Order: sequence, then C-alpha cells, then structure tokens
Amino acid sequence: MSSQTHAAHGDHDDGKVHVHIAPTRFYWGIFGALVCLTIMTVKVSYYDFGSANTIIAMLIATVKAGLVATFFMHLRHDKAFNTICFLAAFLFLGVFILLTSDDTTTRGKVDNAYGTKVFAPTGEEAPGGFPSALVIPSSSAPSGGGHGEPPKHH
Amino acid sequence: MANVTETVEGADAHDAGGEGHDDHDAHPAFLQHHFDTPAQQFDASKLGMWVFIATEILMFGGLFVAYGIFRASDAEVFFAAHKVLDKQMGALNTIVLLFSSLTAALAVRSAQTGKRQMTSIYLVITIACACIFLVVKYFEYTHKLHDGLLPGHCFGHPWFGDKCTEHGSSAVPISVEGLPPRANMFFALYFAMTGLHGLHVVIGMSILIWVLIKNIKGQFSPAYFTHVDLGALYWHLVDLVWIYLFPLLYLVG
Repeated sequence: MSSQTHAAHGDHDDGKVHVHIAPTRFYWGIFGALVCLTIMTVKVSYYDFGSANTIIAMLIATVKAGLVATFFMHLRHDKAFNTICFLAAFLFLGVFILLTSDDTTTRGKVDNAYGTKVFAPTGEEAPGGFPSALVIPSSSAPSGGGHGEPPKHH
Repeated sequence: MANVTETVEGADAHDAGGEGHDDHDAHPAFLQHHFDTPAQQFDASKLGMWVFIATEILMFGGLFVAYGIFRASDAEVFFAAHKVLDKQMGALNTIVLLFSSLTAALAVRSAQTGKRQMTSIYLVITIACACIFLVVKYFEYTHKLHDGLLPGHCFGHPWFGDKCTEHGSSAVPISVEGLPPRANMFFALYFAMTGLHGLHVVIGMSILIWVLIKNIKGQFSPAYFTHVDLGALYWHLVDLVWIYLFPLLYLVG
C-alpha cells in the first residue's frame, strides 16, 4: 500500500494528482476473471440446486461486481470515503428491501376465502391490504369464493 | 506530457484576483479558483461522482425491490416466463459490456500515463461496444414485441400489424406457448429494468463521446484527466447494473 501516493499522504504533498497506475496486463487479468465467472454462472444455471439457485447466481454476480468496483473503478487505491459512499448505497438498499418485504409479507394476508383486508392468522381487519380485485388467485387457496365478508371474531 | 508548471496563463488569471496566495507553484489553467490544489479538485470531483453513483444504485434499487417482491410471490410464473429470454443473447451482451468496461479502464490508464492516442482508441472501442450492446438489445426487443410480450392490455398479441385496441384484439394469439397471463408482470419488470439500463447505455455513450472529443482536442494530461476518469466510472456503473440484471432476468433459478 506504500504505492498509494495521495497528496494527503505526507511525503507527497505537492498538491498534484497522484494515482495508482496498474499495469495493462492486470486489467486484462480482471477481464479474464469476469468472463470466466460469466461462463460459470451460465453453466451453473443449467443445473438445479433448488432454492440455492438464486443464491449461487447472486453470489457470482456480487463477486463480479466486486471485481469491477475494486479494480476497474479503482476503489482499491482510492480514498476510503468513496468506498463508504458506494457501500452506503447498498446499506440503504438493504433497508429498502427489508422494510418493503416486511410490509408486503405481513400486510393483510388476503386469500380467496377471507376476501380483503384480513390478517389471515387471526381473521382480523388488517391495516392496508389489497382490494380483492387485485388479489392474485393462488391454486393453494381454500375453495369457497372470494367475496365473503371477513369472519368476525369478537 | 503535460507541462503544467509552464502553464502561466492560469496562474496570472488566478493571482489577478489579488488573493495574495503564496506562489508555491504555478496555478494550472484547469484548476478552478475555489480549489487550492489539483489533487483537492480531483478528489472533490470523484467524491461527487461516487455520491451520484450511490443515487443511481438506489434508483435501480426500486426496480430490484419490485422484482424481488413479485418474484417471491410468483416464482413459478417468473421461471416459466424467463425461458422466453435468450440466454445466449444475454451472455453475449454481458461479455460485450465487460469488455467495454475493460477498455474504459484502459482508457483511464492511458490518460493517467499521458498516452492521448491510446485513450482515444480505447474510448472508441468502448463506444463501439455500447453500440453492439444496443443492437443486440434491439433484436431482443423486436423479437419480444412480435411475440406479443409487451406488457399491458395487449399482452399476448403481436404489437406489429394488427394492433390491439381495447381489451385484447382479433390478432393472432400469443405465439409463445404455455405462458400464464400473470407473466405480464415478469415482462413489465423486464422492459422497465432493461429499458432504464438501456437509457443509461445511451447516456453513457454520449458522455464517452463528449470525453473523446475533449481528449482529441488535447484537454487532458496526466495532471488533469478527471473527465476520462468520471466518464469511465459512469460506464462501469452501467456494467455493474447489467451484472445483476443478467442472472436475475435471464437465469432465473
């Protein structure tokens, strides 16, 4: 890391732009690795690993994205704060995904039997929920029509 | 090579303001007056670019979240619908974009080392790759429109020829067998995600063309190559998004 010669690093404080310059062969090596990973993810997609399929595909994609960000986008030899900005985006994307899925998986578990705005486990009126017209019919739903009134539990 | 220290015009223009700077060095023409040093200016530009990249990730993030939620609730339909997409085309476009990322990185490297000619060549290759990507995408899109996969109330009816008017049309029914109507959602996400990404490809191309023109005019040097660096960063972002789009849309497990 002594090759990192940013102006802020004391002995090189001449105010000029100093960057780490990797050899051309190194960039070609990264490209080769990216191509290998692409071929791998396509080959792997022909096999069925059950629920691990998506995880494997996302892992490979993340390794590829990591290679691009670290070396092509120079984060490796860049100011650490740029990396923090970049990773913060994913942190907040995680918050976005978690809160949204928390909402969509718990809000008014509507099924054909209960109709709209009902929290399935208790049968109560749930906050929010989809209008019954938008409910995706699911094959596993119990029969008995989708327009009935929510069962009342008092 | 740049003879930055000999660029006196910038220093004159700067000191004319009567700021009373200690003349530790000449102020190069590219150094804007509100920065102390080229390094400070470069770091500030780069930080700004990374903040912008973060906002771009969050913009695409909205579509990725929508994808995740609809796929989780309708996994079989997504699996059935993704088979319509051509893996080979997707893989080809992935390789094209990865290669363009390589040449973009090499363009930056050439700019850093002062090889202006090579920077131009690498930028041209990158732009050419962007064109190849868009051509492949064009063939994929037209094929899907012909198959009636455009989401909306026309879903299941070919877009060309006998256009559907209200709810459905008299046109030939869907040519792709065995797709449930709910596959609509997969193709809505497909067109939204690849469409937004395609828009970024076009914008990235425009930026790289602008950088290329500036490079041909000789405005860059190892002391000042910010545009090349940030333009390439934008291009890498386009690549980064596609790295995730490809397995999510083409290789649904």
